[in-house]
Amino acid sequence: MRILLAEDDDDTRQFVERGLEELGHNVIVAANGEDALHLSLTETVDVIILDRMMPALDGFSVLKRLRAGGIAVPVLMLTALGRIEDRVDGLEAGADDYLVKPFAFSELAARIQALGRRTAPTGVATRLAAGGIEMDLLAREVRRAGQQIQLQPREFRLLEELMRHAGEFVTRTMLLERIWDFHFDPQTKIVETHMSRLRTKLNEGNLPDAIETVRGVGYRLRAV
Amino acid sequence: MRLLPRSAANRIAVFAFLAYAGAMLALGAAVFIATHTAFSRQIDTTIEQTTNSLSGEYRDDGIRGLTETLNQLQGPGPVSLGTALFGPDSQRIAGNLKTSMPAEGWQRIVFLDPLEGPDPARAKVTMLPGGYRMVVAADLESLEAIDRTILGIFAAAFASLLLIGLAGAVALAAYLRRRLAGIETTAAAIVAGDLRRRAIVGTAGDEFDRVAASLNAMLDRIAGLIANLRQVTGDLAHDLRTPLSRLRNQLERLSGTTHDADREQLVESAIAQADNVLVLFDAILRISEVEEGSLKRAFGPVSLSDVVTELGETLVPLAEDAGQALDVVSEPNLTVQGDRELLAQAIINLVENALRHTPPGAAIRLNTHAEADGVAVTVQDNGHGIPGEDRMRVQERFVRLEASRATPGHGLGLSLVRAIAEAHGASLTLSDAHPGLLAEIYFPQRMPS
Repeated sequence: MRILLAEDDDDTRQFVERGLEELGHNVIVAANGEDALHLSLTETVDVIILDRMMPALDGFSVLKRLRAGGIAVPVLMLTALGRIEDRVDGLEAGADDYLVKPFAFSELAARIQALGRRTAPTGVATRLAAGGIEMDLLAREVRRAGQQIQLQPREFRLLEELMRHAGEFVTRTMLLERIWDFHFDPQTKIVETHMSRLRTKLNEGNLPDAIETVRGVGYRLRAV
Repeated sequence: MRLLPRSAANRIAVFAFLAYAGAMLALGAAVFIATHTAFSRQIDTTIEQTTNSLSGEYRDDGIRGLTETLNQLQGPGPVSLGTALFGPDSQRIAGNLKTSMPAEGWQRIVFLDPLEGPDPARAKVTMLPGGYRMVVAADLESLEAIDRTILGIFAAAFASLLLIGLAGAVALAAYLRRRLAGIETTAAAIVAGDLRRRAIVGTAGDEFDRVAASLNAMLDRIAGLIANLRQVTGDLAHDLRTPLSRLRNQLERLSGTTHDADREQLVESAIAQADNVLVLFDAILRISEVEEGSLKRAFGPVSLSDVVTELGETLVPLAEDAGQALDVVSEPNLTVQGDRELLAQAIINLVENALRHTPPGAAIRLNTHAEADGVAVTVQDNGHGIPGEDRMRVQERFVRLEASRATPGHGLGLSLVRAIAEAHGASLTLSDAHPGLLAEIYFPQRMPS
């Protein structure tokens, strides 16, 4: 993917740039809001990472001008720790996702991945299938190896999320946001507990583990 | 040059004094004018009556009769009157008034007083048939004497009243300055660093006492905030020192380790320590943001019934895994004004607290129900509870009881719950559940659902 990274802090910018390049992305960088606006208007990119606080023109204003100019490229906004208001304002201004600094790089990588895919048209699927698991979203039924599995509502939503991103990592905070609509860290093992129950139910009968967990990164449904 | 004194107390006194003096002058002027006018009118009336009666004499008895009357008319009256009669040839033919011939009508003339010399007088000059000209005049000396007397009395009274007023003004200024000085010296002492200094509040309960009392209340509040800030800063420093020094140690050991497996473990541990610090910061910033109150603008109707029901589904498995039982009872259709996520976080913190501080096998109840005009959310456990004297303290930042030192956490969970409750106009109460702890968030206002 071609990614525009607008971040004024040199250390953070280099850290993120190197990380994204290692993942095979093509990164162009801007160190202030004016450059960011200029580059986003002249370059074709798949995703823009925009820092909220930047000299010359802050991320907010850049975003508003982009959206006013009809540019619909997915934007991930980086906001400072402890500003709940910034998230609300950022989403109102047209951001597609946001991340609180400081963040784990794996978190950013997973979100960029998800944002990049969002541009592809997604039909309204009523059935999902991946990794030997079939899911009927209307009948609320799940089968693995032909066996029907009974899931609680939260477990069903977790699996649906993993199925939709089969083969990709989904982070703990992404799950908290998408399933519980929590944009804060509740400091309890909500995700872990429900994921563990889902995994037990899926793997019943000595089947190979359907969900891969990488500490500090997130969860992934094995595609095969 | 300043026209007015710099001191407000002096200014007030000067204004009061000037107003007082002005009032005295106005009163004096009014008395003088009234008296003077009354006497002048009486003089004019006497002249008019005399003129009329003399004119009648002339009509009845002719010039001879009038001359006779005039020559006899020397009697004493209320006002000393003088008369003169001039013939058609402008010669004075009768009367005692020594004056030159005046023109017709009311006027002020000067006559020659046999004793005192020229004197002013009020005169009416009437033309009589046959070319005679009659002058009736009243000496103005008596009027002037009355004027002089009144002015004299008034001047003396004014002078003494002015002295009294001046003394009052000086006393008023001194009083105002003295009352204000008490407040001023307190403020000055505070500025100089004596933060415990308070203004003296009098017993009168007047404006000054009320200002002093409000000043003291304000100082108490500020002192409380400073103390709180000091404690938070101290606690924060303490809470940061541990993970930061651990982090430092791990990085130091990492720099001297070549074994890959050890390195990986040290790096992971270092990241965990850094995350620990960030979690602490996040919690502190979150509490501040909630306390700031600016989040209120995004508040809307939230169904507490739904929030509690959903949280039940989410949290019951957590309790089961910990070997505890979570029982959820949610009355339907309970709506309050607020933020769904903040309310969810407050309830999660209360349940998490109960899970963390009760032994396996404990029973926890999460409940929401209508109460009077409001809504209550309660979390009750049957654990060891919190001793009465500590129940207020645990709601403060960083306060952790000795019994829970071993469990993870920064002692910010209940502070956040309280901040969230207060941002919603609700209150957090901790009480004894016999046994265990009962935590209640009470929203005094329910929205129609």
